[in-house]
Amino acid sequence: VAEPQVPEVRTPAAPKQHEKYPWPEHPTLVGTRMKRLDGPVKVTGAAKYAYDINRPGLLHGRILRSPHPHARVVSIDLSAAQKAPGVKAAMNVIEPGKEVMYQGDEVAAVAAATEEQARDALRLIKVQYEVLPNIATIAQAMQDGAPKIFKDGNIIEGEAQESGDLDAGFKAAAHIVEASYETQVLTHVCLETHGSVCEWQGENLTSWVSTQAVHGTREGFAEALGIPQANVRVITEYMGGGFGSKFGPDIQGIVCAKLAKQAGAAVKMMLDRKEEHLAAGNRPSSFSKIKAGVGADGMLTAFDAVSWGTGGAGVGAGFPLPYIYRFPNRRRKHRDVYTNAGQARAMRAPGHPQGCFHTEMLMDELADKVKMDPVEFRIKNLPPEAPNAMWRTYYPIAAEMFGWSRRHPTGDPSPGPIKRGMGCAANQWGGGGRGTKAHCEINADGSVVVRCGTQDIGVGTRTHVTMVAAETLGIPMEMVKAEIGDSNYPFSGGSGGSTTSPSVAPAIRVTSGKARDALFARVAPTIGVDAASLVAANGRIQSKDDASKGLSWKDACRLLGTEPVSVDGEWEAGLSASGSSGVQFAEVEVDIETGVTKVSRIVCVQDCGLILDPLTAESQCIGGMVAGVNYALFEHRLLDRNTGIMVNPNMEFYLLAGPADIPKIDVKLMNQPERGVIGIGEPPTISTAAAIANAVRNATGVTIRSLPITPDKVLTAIAEREKTGGTL
Amino acid sequence: VKAFAYVNAASQKDALAAMGTATRGKMLPIAGGMDLLGLMKDYVVQPDVLVNVKHLPSTITVPAQGLTVIGAAAKLVELVEHTALGKAYPALAAAAESVGTPQIRNAGTVGGNLMQRPRCWYFRSEDFNCLKKGGARCFAVDGENQFHAIFGDGPCHIVHPSTLAVPLIAYGGRVKVAGPQGEREIEADKFFAMPDRNMFGETVLEPNELVTGIVLPVARNTRSAMYEVKFKQSHDWPIAMAAVALRMTGDTCESARVVLGAVAPIPWRSPAAEAKLKGKKIDQAVAWEAAEAALADAKPMSGNAYKVQVAKAALRRAIMKAMA
Repeated sequence: VAEPQVPEVRTPAAPKQHEKYPWPEHPTLVGTRMKRLDGPVKVTGAAKYAYDINRPGLLHGRILRSPHPHARVVSIDLSAAQKAPGVKAAMNVIEPGKEVMYQGDEVAAVAAATEEQARDALRLIKVQYEVLPNIATIAQAMQDGAPKIFKDGNIIEGEAQESGDLDAGFKAAAHIVEASYETQVLTHVCLETHGSVCEWQGENLTSWVSTQAVHGTREGFAEALGIPQANVRVITEYMGGGFGSKFGPDIQGIVCAKLAKQAGAAVKMMLDRKEEHLAAGNRPSSFSKIKAGVGADGMLTAFDAVSWGTGGAGVGAGFPLPYIYRFPNRRRKHRDVYTNAGQARAMRAPGHPQGCFHTEMLMDELADKVKMDPVEFRIKNLPPEAPNAMWRTYYPIAAEMFGWSRRHPTGDPSPGPIKRGMGCAANQWGGGGRGTKAHCEINADGSVVVRCGTQDIGVGTRTHVTMVAAETLGIPMEMVKAEIGDSNYPFSGGSGGSTTSPSVAPAIRVTSGKARDALFARVAPTIGVDAASLVAANGRIQSKDDASKGLSWKDACRLLGTEPVSVDGEWEAGLSASGSSGVQFAEVEVDIETGVTKVSRIVCVQDCGLILDPLTAESQCIGGMVAGVNYALFEHRLLDRNTGIMVNPNMEFYLLAGPADIPKIDVKLMNQPERGVIGIGEPPTISTAAAIANAVRNATGVTIRSLPITPDKVLTAIAEREKTGGTL
Repeated sequence: VKAFAYVNAASQKDALAAMGTATRGKMLPIAGGMDLLGLMKDYVVQPDVLVNVKHLPSTITVPAQGLTVIGAAAKLVELVEHTALGKAYPALAAAAESVGTPQIRNAGTVGGNLMQRPRCWYFRSEDFNCLKKGGARCFAVDGENQFHAIFGDGPCHIVHPSTLAVPLIAYGGRVKVAGPQGEREIEADKFFAMPDRNMFGETVLEPNELVTGIVLPVARNTRSAMYEVKFKQSHDWPIAMAAVALRMTGDTCESARVVLGAVAPIPWRSPAAEAKLKGKKIDQAVAWEAAEAALADAKPMSGNAYKVQVAKAALRRAIMKAMA
């Protein structure tokens, strides 16, 4: 039985609001365009990232990695490295006899007084490898007689998902499209690479880690090192991006801690860009062969697909297919293909950008068959509207903003080499939150501390925590100090899956609400009213019935004397929800003589429930769409087909958009305050590449069913069409 | 980076004296270091000694009449900002402006741009012991060759990375070279060496010689331009580029020099295209003919046939830009 295509459409339109601390009807801070509190320290360099932590006597660690995509390690000789200048610790990471499964797999490590000494020492480690056959590409893995590299085989067949009556569906079709689509492997390219600084005091480990989960990383350290979680403290005050690739200490974190223990000194171990590309995660590739039918009335009738992809050495490559649109009769069979390549990790909306690309390109091809406008065609085939499925409303809004009415049919008829085109695509995501705990102190001097063991992956979490507490306490944000990014603070989950804001904001709302109530109870006798009649607003505690009965915030807090308010709280239902939707439109210019595609503009209409801070929400959308431009045109983890060695482990030939490659981007956020907070990390990156690919098709009249859309693919497709006698 | 000694040469004379003992790869000059530091960090080159050559000549002299001379240590940004140079040699100024990023142009020099090593990803990676590093084969032949050469027949299939070299040859420029035997000038056209002549470098320069400058002849009655096709508009290498210098009599092209870049192990002069332009009134049709002629002998590899189309477009557009 197939999964429902839109799992959460039955979400009630207006969920039950939190009884004691609902979001305010007339907020003063929530919903305003709030600049990041830590913007100035970030742009001036004062913010300390893991990379910037320097401890007394700090050593520098480096990892020796396999140059072979597949080999058995016969022996490792550390002796020369151990004697090298500055070296204080050295270790095997893999035990001789075991196999390395991809280029960049960890073999050994050293720590030395300087990074240069550590790098020099690595080159003195003598490793004897027995090189084994390897699989560099999906084609190699799938061909007859391929070497069996992985224990369970190179190909893992999934169960077929089926619903409806496929034969009847195809019988009802007036037109059939059969096509193959593919997307490439991307790496996360976090600007701050993975890594940590580890320091022991006796049996206690402190680690400054670039991580999107301080508590998960604490657990990972404790488990791998065999020490209690209570002995581990993980600190991430600032971090430079994770995108799903930084949930634990990873091997380099564990190795860093072990080297620090061996050397008796703090060790810094940050990966370099090459290591980052090879061994710090990626988005799997995806391939599909699809047969789909559409009726003469423009209603989809049937969908039959086989799909596959590689997540590297022993990691799956699943993705949703079809995506969003309703095919009443459908079948889909997927297989995961293993290759000797770096292992996939969650990457911003895992699976969705792939599923969106395959389905949305197919939708344009089907729309052309029935000669319908792509937007009209999509709306006809969407699921019923629901709070988390608002595309029927959003498509027309975005089309109007974008100027979709000026779109020409497939193939720009204007003369000259520059062809312009427009395309669109939709996205959906779950998100939602729970589990976060927090602590709030109100001190006698009026200052407030809010503590929460979440972390700011770079999206503005510190600002959101401060804003929610200040809103709840009715005081300016300057009076609230948000302390986050430390596993010694109350538990919060990882920043992933668009769950951070919907987990953290309710926890802060409830906890600071409880602190406010505790303050009310303490000051009500002095004010001379019932605590239940007090409100906190505009820096005052006062009776909601008689504003003259009250105290300034400072005077009220002074009454606390030597015993501050100190309360714990946690996430509770009624302040957050799950399930968001959005649409995007893109315009491109394709030079059909050079094959170069430029994205000129993108319009995005996106919801995420109650919008805490439009500025940071828009920033999330913009960042997601820039990543989408990279997915569409530039990024590609490319392995040499003969050796399985990556040819572009850098930022030179692993292409990323620079300032001149980034289009004009317009974001329209759709506020749904009645739903509470929903995350926005993933959705805006899902549909960008699909919209761009459809725009390229609309511009050129040729269909590039493969990402990235390189000049090579564009020119080859145009030459192919000319050979077969087609014209624009 | 392997540890190295540093010789801070205060003058051209000191630099030459220091370089006098150089053997290939063991002692290297450094000016802006834009290319060299990357090569060293990637262990592609591992010199024992670096000689600072920032004190080589760095002036740009563009007399109203006579030869233009640019010192090897002139920064690329200085070429971009030199009004008289831009007027007399617009293709050279445009080439300087299109190099890398503002930071690279602020530090990178003319000599360094001509002497930079290829960007071939097999050459640049320690993981591939390719022909150019003394290995047994060119990995590009049956590998990932979308950015490799479409001219030259190997056995090494790099494309030459210098953007400045392309218009320099189009203008009929020369390279000033100094060494233990004194100074000499080499036609820019003869300065770059195919892999069969020099596998371990890309020029005819000896290890103990230095580039000290470039010389440009007077470009009288000349229309010139360069056109580059880049995929990314920010910080990318060209897929293909072209520079042309057309000497005109009235509206007839008396003689032409046509050079393609990023298509061969050296900047690729095209006598066939030059012949198509000579004696013609230049229009779209002539430009198309010249571009077809220039690429007629291209031999693309397994994955770079598209570069033939891109190079044709670059040349057509360079010609039309020169005439505009």
